[in-house]
Amino acid sequence: MSEQNNGLNAANEDNTPHPNYWRSFESLYNDPTVIEAKAHEFKAGVTDDFSPSGLSSISRRKFIALLGASAALAGTSCTDYRDKGEIVPYNVKPEEITVGKPNYYASTCTACPNACGILIKTREGRPIKIDGNPDHPVNKGKICAKGQANILNLYDPERVKTPQKNIDSSFTEVSWKDADNEIITALGLADKGEIALISHTIVSPTMLKVIEDFKTKYPTTKLYSYELFNDSVKNSAWRKTHGSGNYPLLKWDEAKIILSLESDFLGTEENKVENSRMYSQNRDVDNKKFTRLYCADSSLTITGINSDYRLRIDPAAQLEFVLSLTNEIVQKGNITSAINASNYDLNSFAKKYNLDSKILNHLVSDLISNKGKSIITAGNALSENVHIAVNLLNDALGNKNLFRTDASSVTLVEHSAVGEFEELVQKMNNGSVAVIVNIDCNPVYHFAKDLGFEKALSKVPLSVTLTERFNETTAVTNYTLPLSHNFESWGDAQVRTNVISLQQPVISPIHKTRQKESIFLTWISGKSDSFTEYLYLSYLKNNWEKNIYPTLNSKINFEKFWLGALHDGIVETNSSAIVSGEINSGTFDLAKDEQRKSEGLTLIIKENYSLGDGRFAHNGWLQELPHPVSKATWDNYAALSEKTCKDFGLKDNDLIEVKVENRKLILPVFMQAGTADNVIVVESGYGRTNSGIVATGVGFNVNSLLSAKSDLSPWIYNNASITKTGDKYLVATTQEHHAFDDPLVQDLHIIRKIIQEGTVTQYLKNPSFIKENNTEQLPSVSNPYPYNGVKWGMAIDLNKCTGCGDCIVACDVENNIPVVGKDQVLKSREMQWLRIDRYYSGSPDNPKVSVQPMLCQHCDQAPCENVCPVVATTHSPDGLNQMTYNRCVGTRYCSNNCPYKVRRFNFYNFRDHFRDSYQENPILALMHNPEVTVRSRGVMEKCTFCVQRISEAKADATHQKRNLKGSDVTTACQDSCGSNAIYFGDINDKESEFYKYRNHELGYYVLEELNVKPNVTYIAKLRNIHSEEV
Amino acid sequence: MNIDYSQEAPLIAGRLKLAQIEELIAKPMDTRPDRKYYIALSISVTALLIGAVSLGLTFYYGIGLWGNNQPVGWAFEIVNFVFWVGIGHAGTLISAILFLLRQKWRTGIARFAEAMTIFAVMCAGIFPAIHTGRPWLDGYLLPYPNQHGLWVNFTSPLLWDVFAVTTYFTVSLVFWYVGLIPDFGSLRDRTTSKIKKTIYSIFSLGWRHSNRHWSHYEKAYMLLAGFATPLVLSVHTIVSFDFAVSIIPGWHTTIFPPYFVAGAIFSGFAMVVTVLIFVRKIFDLQNIITIDHLEKMNKVILLTGMMVGYAYSMEFFIAWYSGVQAESFLFLTRAFGPYAWAYWIMISCNVLIPQLFWFRKIRRSVPLMLIIVIFVNVGMWFERFVITVTSLNRDFLPSSWAYFIPTLYDFGLLIGSFGLFFTLVILFTKSLPVVSISEVKAVADGAQPAHHGGAHHE
Repeated sequence: MSEQNNGLNAANEDNTPHPNYWRSFESLYNDPTVIEAKAHEFKAGVTDDFSPSGLSSISRRKFIALLGASAALAGTSCTDYRDKGEIVPYNVKPEEITVGKPNYYASTCTACPNACGILIKTREGRPIKIDGNPDHPVNKGKICAKGQANILNLYDPERVKTPQKNIDSSFTEVSWKDADNEIITALGLADKGEIALISHTIVSPTMLKVIEDFKTKYPTTKLYSYELFNDSVKNSAWRKTHGSGNYPLLKWDEAKIILSLESDFLGTEENKVENSRMYSQNRDVDNKKFTRLYCADSSLTITGINSDYRLRIDPAAQLEFVLSLTNEIVQKGNITSAINASNYDLNSFAKKYNLDSKILNHLVSDLISNKGKSIITAGNALSENVHIAVNLLNDALGNKNLFRTDASSVTLVEHSAVGEFEELVQKMNNGSVAVIVNIDCNPVYHFAKDLGFEKALSKVPLSVTLTERFNETTAVTNYTLPLSHNFESWGDAQVRTNVISLQQPVISPIHKTRQKESIFLTWISGKSDSFTEYLYLSYLKNNWEKNIYPTLNSKINFEKFWLGALHDGIVETNSSAIVSGEINSGTFDLAKDEQRKSEGLTLIIKENYSLGDGRFAHNGWLQELPHPVSKATWDNYAALSEKTCKDFGLKDNDLIEVKVENRKLILPVFMQAGTADNVIVVESGYGRTNSGIVATGVGFNVNSLLSAKSDLSPWIYNNASITKTGDKYLVATTQEHHAFDDPLVQDLHIIRKIIQEGTVTQYLKNPSFIKENNTEQLPSVSNPYPYNGVKWGMAIDLNKCTGCGDCIVACDVENNIPVVGKDQVLKSREMQWLRIDRYYSGSPDNPKVSVQPMLCQHCDQAPCENVCPVVATTHSPDGLNQMTYNRCVGTRYCSNNCPYKVRRFNFYNFRDHFRDSYQENPILALMHNPEVTVRSRGVMEKCTFCVQRISEAKADATHQKRNLKGSDVTTACQDSCGSNAIYFGDINDKESEFYKYRNHELGYYVLEELNVKPNVTYIAKLRNIHSEEV
Repeated sequence: MNIDYSQEAPLIAGRLKLAQIEELIAKPMDTRPDRKYYIALSISVTALLIGAVSLGLTFYYGIGLWGNNQPVGWAFEIVNFVFWVGIGHAGTLISAILFLLRQKWRTGIARFAEAMTIFAVMCAGIFPAIHTGRPWLDGYLLPYPNQHGLWVNFTSPLLWDVFAVTTYFTVSLVFWYVGLIPDFGSLRDRTTSKIKKTIYSIFSLGWRHSNRHWSHYEKAYMLLAGFATPLVLSVHTIVSFDFAVSIIPGWHTTIFPPYFVAGAIFSGFAMVVTVLIFVRKIFDLQNIITIDHLEKMNKVILLTGMMVGYAYSMEFFIAWYSGVQAESFLFLTRAFGPYAWAYWIMISCNVLIPQLFWFRKIRRSVPLMLIIVIFVNVGMWFERFVITVTSLNRDFLPSSWAYFIPTLYDFGLLIGSFGLFFTLVILFTKSLPVVSISEVKAVADGAQPAHHGGAHHE
């Protein structure tokens, strides 16, 4: 006992910690082995034979292992929706690429025969955005919706990827070599039969040379070219009145008075980009320069909605109208005309068609008093007689001053006449056509059915279609050879006398495709293995060196010249307009055949704004781009006036059968305000039967109403009739339409000051009339944020905006906006961040139309921001209303509280939802702008003022050690706007161009009385009419 | 009619003995469920499953399955939420406010109304959680410290909602449970089943009916009643802020808080009456839940119905009087625009039909009152529909207007919420006393013998 006590005391004296409880003497006396052993959980050797696999199935360790594993698996598998695959870095950095920095290449757009110059933005070798080439004298840095959306064509998952042989209507993949061999053999044997080449307009001089070489090699070749919508009638009329050349280009920017007869020069005719720019220069508030636009047309077009005065005229009555007008002018203005129109009286014409005589009087006096400063332009669809009459009237008024002398249009190959095609079909039928090659065109879809082309095609021994994607023609031809896209090909183009542009590839062919010129060169060589990647490049270069370079009198050597030309994308030719001769003397008798036939309706077929003649039907962005006037998407329809609808007992969305002679088409009715009575207006491009999952079955094929034996013109037919089928078909529009006579909703846009307008006279008298009835600025109860640095803002000049919608597609491309499809548009869930609101006022027959681009207003006191429960939408110090997608849970409260309703919600993962996850195809991911997040389901999104561009400009400014300036940034919509209606910049920069618009006397905010302090200023539209009140 | 106003009318009819009361109330728990019970349960569970399937598909595909569109960001899901929160108001009002006001007639219906409150708030609570675009991230709505350093936005009424509804639910649940403790004690003492005994024992928290227990219990109950009372007013006030704080015409109105509270009590009482009519019949509780109870509730319905009607007309007046174009347009378009049908359903169900309760005969006729309260239920659902959808579908810019058309999934979820509610109600009737045994005993004849001569003395 005492020994133990001693022991304890000893331990205490040792000053060593002694355990309160001890299990053994070793422990008590702090034996080092015990201390050592305590540091380990198990005694040495105890765990040696422990093996988890040997344990029973429910051991603790195994249980925990399984628990951990399943938790990890559950955790990782649930995050799958964010998994976008691997990111592979460059192993060896390509010289010209800096990761994260875009490269730009100049090229030429081949989306339509206008061949505008483009700048292609590429990131890490992928083209991602198209802008206009600022150096190009025609489009000057702007490009239309089709040109922008062309990027989707490149990455379209439904492109033809390899050559295909059609055996008994089923396609088999073949090699280029086999296909070429068979075709070359057939071409070689065709020494008696004709080789027919069918193409759209040929704009490339070198392509033309390839075809000439082809003709030399295969002498039985004949080239046919066509365009569904063309200006051939206009040009042939020109030649009749002026002898030679093409209809001249016009000085839209200098005309005091423009009278447009069924002409949509701001929409579908000629080069709309150039026309919009020149026209809008003439609606310039700052230079107080205002043209007056009269429209006399059958339906509301972009030109029509921008007109100051509009007359509804049946297209079949246009000749009568022009002649009556001529007579009136001749009589009142003491003018002589080469035409004798004394039988026509404007007053009785006005009475007959119920036209406003006040407008007619203004028109006559304006034309007389602006001799030499007015333009009368007739639409391409009108008959030759109308064009002749218009040419004569222009001449009588001395308007040839307004014909441009700097350039005129160039036609490399005349379009084939209908007669030539009839002959071709005849030859096909009697077996004298050996080979037919459709060069990037779709004649089976485009040609009038009564031409019998499709049937005749089966009698041709070998038919080949060169195309980017399957279409109605590939379905009935033997070979389908895949073409490289615009951005994968070399080329050149000349559509104007003063400029030739160059086309260069920016990506090597994604699929096993070849460009059409290379295919022809291979065939010319007669050896299938002669194809190389550079086959056409060397040919092109050679042609330029031999044939084009010498004509340009360049002082530098060819190699330098060539690289410079490629860099610039254009070469100016020094040659100006081809001046047409004086007007032919002699008189014209035009009245013989044209009269509006009293019985029946008039059918007019128009080119669709976004799909064109159907070439862009597979392009979702364009399908979803709302029609500038009707706001319809994904469909065409028969536009009828309110009165015509009443006469036939029709309502919106009723299916009707339109019949012309024995040609029929069933399509829905759309009651379109402003349509002429007794006229059926149908747009083309829809009703594709073999155009992939996006376009097939969308809309109605109006080409089935076309006839090879054209009536008034290939696009205007008398004696059409309508029968109601009793069925319904919903047309998806992005704007509800309301009855004009509903007092509840009438003119709300004016009452609420969403649209503020005035007249030119009013403005010249009192420049700040808009500000006069403004609500008083209310004092703020809180201290507003000072915004001392750069603060972003936008100004939109409604005098210049034509409402075309090109900016919408630019925004789509820049910001990776998904296509949602017709079903979602019907549910009002379109995703476009930018929209063009269209408002009608006045009567349904002669509505006054106002358009307004509407996007996030980036309000200083944004109502969306304070209601978001998770702070997903906030304000930046430079005045942006921001969205944090990652934080957004999708309560949609912000959207509810947005007075402008510009927020867009991802109701689905739209990329997955649309057409069986068409947009989830990995190839489409290449198209995305890498600077913009691809939004997932359940997230709110909206216009960001292109914040990615602001960040880039900021980084550049920092890099260059200078301050960021407002003019360093342009938004995508601004870049695309052909009429330069959009300005963007720093609100605080008093020196800037933008500042002028921000504080313009005509500037106003939409819904100003809400005091949300928007940062988008609208410049009120002025109408150039004779009265002071709108 | 000779009514003796000097004496309080008996709250329990039929001169039941205390033991009979306990017997009567505890009977559903002592007996096995019958066929009718299973039929009722299967109907409500079917409805619940319809909702579950709709919800599952919604989670899988996204809320694009619903009819919501670009201007109408909120539709059925928020309508249902406000509707169910409103239903949840009667319970706390009856149990807390009427308790504080010493309204003894509440005892017969308080338990049931409280249970309905909890079930209704459960139904309501589901909707804000599922209406988000990414429901798996709903946690972002809670202020919790996180590695992102992100906090919630305290200026957003939706966040206030989260707090208001969770607080209300928690307090209601505690209040309900505390009230149940003595009954759990009684049930524990009655039952012979071992399992039941264990369960009741756990939930009775060792209740021994001792004097000390009773005195603690009553203090706690009083305190909780005091605590719950402001919540009755606050919850629907805050729910109304979801709308009132916004700037959308038709939402941005200061009348909303009182109007919503009145509407909530209106709809809550209507729902309580609807369900009680069946419960008292099926479980033979006519003597405990008497026609007097129902009549009193009908009076409240009449009163609150008129308050709601007043609010409707005042909204119109203010819309005109304010001179704000968008506001006056909105109210006209409600009454005469595309959703006029919904508006007039609302007016007729909420304002016109309850006027029949001016007649005593109708107030005391079970079949007639059933018809009227069902109309009120429908009307109050439409009131929320009118507020939510008609305001959104035609706001400031006519270019963005769009008509909302509900889809099958919207209806599926609405049906599912009713399924959930009635499933819980049906399960409740068989597992817990639908009437408070202890409270009813306390107000039964002879339960509290009064000494002659008035004041109680030591």
